[in-house]
Amino acid sequence: MDFTLSDEQKMLVNAVRQFIKEELKPLEDEVESTGLLAPEKARAIFEHSRELGLYAMNMPEEYGGAGLSAIDTMLVEEQFGHTSDILIRRAFGNIYEALLVCEGAQKERWLLPTVRGDRTCSIAITEPGAGSDAMGITTRAVKDGDGWLLTGNKHFISDGEYSDFFLVTAVTDPESTPKAISLFLVDKDSPGFTLGRNQVMMGLTGTSCNELFFKNIRLTRENLLGEEGRGMRICLQTLGRVRLAQVGARAVGKATHVLDLMVEYVKERKQFGKPIGDFQLIQQMIADSVIEVNAARLLLHRAAWEIDQGRDARDWISMVKVHAAETLGRVTDRAVQVFGGMGYCKELPIERYYRDSRIYRIFDGSSEIHRTLVARGATKFGAALYDVRA
Amino acid sequence: MPLKILVTSKRVEDPEALILVKADGSGIETQGLSYRINPFDEIAVEEALRLKEEHGGEVVVASIGAADCVSEIRVALAMGADRGIRVDHEGPLDPGMVAAILQKLVEGEQPDLVILGKQSVDDDQNQVGQILAQRMGWARATFASKEESLESTAEKTRQCGLRLAADGTSIRVVREVDGGLETLELSLPAVITTDLRLNIPRITSVPGIMKARKKPVREIQVEELGIELQPAVIVRKLHSPSKRGGGLRVKTVQELWDKVHGEAGVL
Ligand SMILES: Cc1cc2nc3c(=O)[nH]c(=O)nc-3n(C[C@H](O)[C@H](O)[C@H](O)COP(=O)(O)OP(=O)(O)OC[C@H]3O[C@@H](n4cnc5c(N)ncnc54)[C@H](O)[C@@H]3O)c2cc1C
Repeated sequence: MDFTLSDEQKMLVNAVRQFIKEELKPLEDEVESTGLLAPEKARAIFEHSRELGLYAMNMPEEYGGAGLSAIDTMLVEEQFGHTSDILIRRAFGNIYEALLVCEGAQKERWLLPTVRGDRTCSIAITEPGAGSDAMGITTRAVKDGDGWLLTGNKHFISDGEYSDFFLVTAVTDPESTPKAISLFLVDKDSPGFTLGRNQVMMGLTGTSCNELFFKNIRLTRENLLGEEGRGMRICLQTLGRVRLAQVGARAVGKATHVLDLMVEYVKERKQFGKPIGDFQLIQQMIADSVIEVNAARLLLHRAAWEIDQGRDARDWISMVKVHAAETLGRVTDRAVQVFGGMGYCKELPIERYYRDSRIYRIFDGSSEIHRTLVARGATKFGAALYDVRA
Repeated sequence: MPLKILVTSKRVEDPEALILVKADGSGIETQGLSYRINPFDEIAVEEALRLKEEHGGEVVVASIGAADCVSEIRVALAMGADRGIRVDHEGPLDPGMVAAILQKLVEGEQPDLVILGKQSVDDDQNQVGQILAQRMGWARATFASKEESLESTAEKTRQCGLRLAADGTSIRVVREVDGGLETLELSLPAVITTDLRLNIPRITSVPGIMKARKKPVREIQVEELGIELQPAVIVRKLHSPSKRGGGLRVKTVQELWDKVHGEAGVL
């Protein structure tokens, strides 16, 4: 079993790391204090990143991406975790693999410009009445001639303000069991579309989260992604890898970042005449964090490996979703403790990391939902999910 | 006028890592160490690539060492160098030996320009470029820098710090010297060593990384070069600098004199 990175992997990680250090880190404080990333700065980091091939790396080469394997995607996504959500979105893109389902004219209209960074897409599943229960949505696409009329509303849609089109789940047949849900590509400038308010969050400063309102938006067959009634299936098949990357890998990266700061601090901060790292109670917090971060990364790589083997990795992804997000929660909580008053004070970024981390246990399926899935997987597949396959 | 440039890309211990001397002084602890391209060589590669982008030509990257040093050649290839040469060698090397090997490569490749780091951050010897120029009988300029700062637009727009003359027969080098900058005009072929303020090396691009895999790296055995390598410098033992003892406050000049002259036996 070889855990060493290949030359290419090392270079890839280094390129992303250097880009974040030189181009993105210097912008973080300004985003935090002003609440937004200035458009001209967003443009500049996007252009430089695209020039280096760092934009849309998760997309296949034939569409202009870097065609990274799942493992390589997780290596770079972990590095993304070292900076903030909005900077990741603008610099590296947030391109949903569900767009690969695009066919024919859809590719030119939605997929290719998104990979190029000329268009931006958000995914709109959650509604005020349907969060964890994604099947419980009430947004309706009613058949009308050759197309549909879309009516309903979504909320908490990340980057809603910036995105110019949305991947929207809507019920196309409420009578069938389970009810048929389809995925639509909905342009923001469609008549009948209204962008609602930005729902201000505890963290992730700079990324808007919006309500969306649809009123009789006319959709044609071109707006339908994949087959009618197969929306949830597409979500199940394509959102796993996004979840592993955007929650699992980034949580590991963020926890690593915070742990780095903690380790430095306990060596420097002195109380009672010695570095606080000499106190066993502090050491325990460091040790537990090191152990948990490494465990989370191993699990992450295992899940990515399952994907690269072409296997159904959903249960593995759920395990990572829970473990990485909760590791991040524990590590940032300890960081606040280790930094003491400075951990709570806005003069250091620790309190920001603490706030930014909290959402990892909630979005993209809460810990409770993913635990439920893991338990279901365990009863279904038994030891295959947790024992050595020999 | 297209230029053929030979650059070096040495594998060194990551200067940001904690370096510990082995208990028996036979070397440094290598377990858990990470390696990178010598930062001065990275600057050399960057400058060579800028010259190539402006004037055309070819950038050949060379390194001497065991198989693992190919990783650092690949970094230079990913940055944009065209091909690599690895001279296979295990064990210690002193600057004279390195220069002797490089001389053979230079004689074989016949480049217009050799650009090396002024030193490598492991042993900090700062000799190879000078010895190589001497052996070749070529013009040389050490500590290449530039007038504009690293924050200047000249740097942001990736302009060359080394300026090739219009007729392509000479190159202008601004070098760092004590108390300022000195400008030299070297006739080609020439050897140049880089200082820190020459440029900011590029971030390797993803397509560059992918292409590096397919670029050729030639392997050469030292024996093939037909040279006898005799070390002039042998490292017998390494030890960490001794810990500084605590300071001392004295009350009178006489006391100071007694301590320094009498006790310590200096002055
Ligand atoms: C910052 C942010 C960004 C977001 N971005 C997007 C986006 O871009 N697109 C999008 O579509 N959505 C987005 N969301 C929505 C997010 O995915 C949901 O908030 C999440 O799925 C949880 O849904 P909910 O908030 O309605 O909570 P609820 O579903 O109401 O859950 C409340 C609590 O009940 C628990 N619970 C629910 N069902 C069960 C169960 N069966 N068993 C045990 N416990 C259960 C939950 O775990 C949770 O603790 C975002 C949310 C936030 C906060």
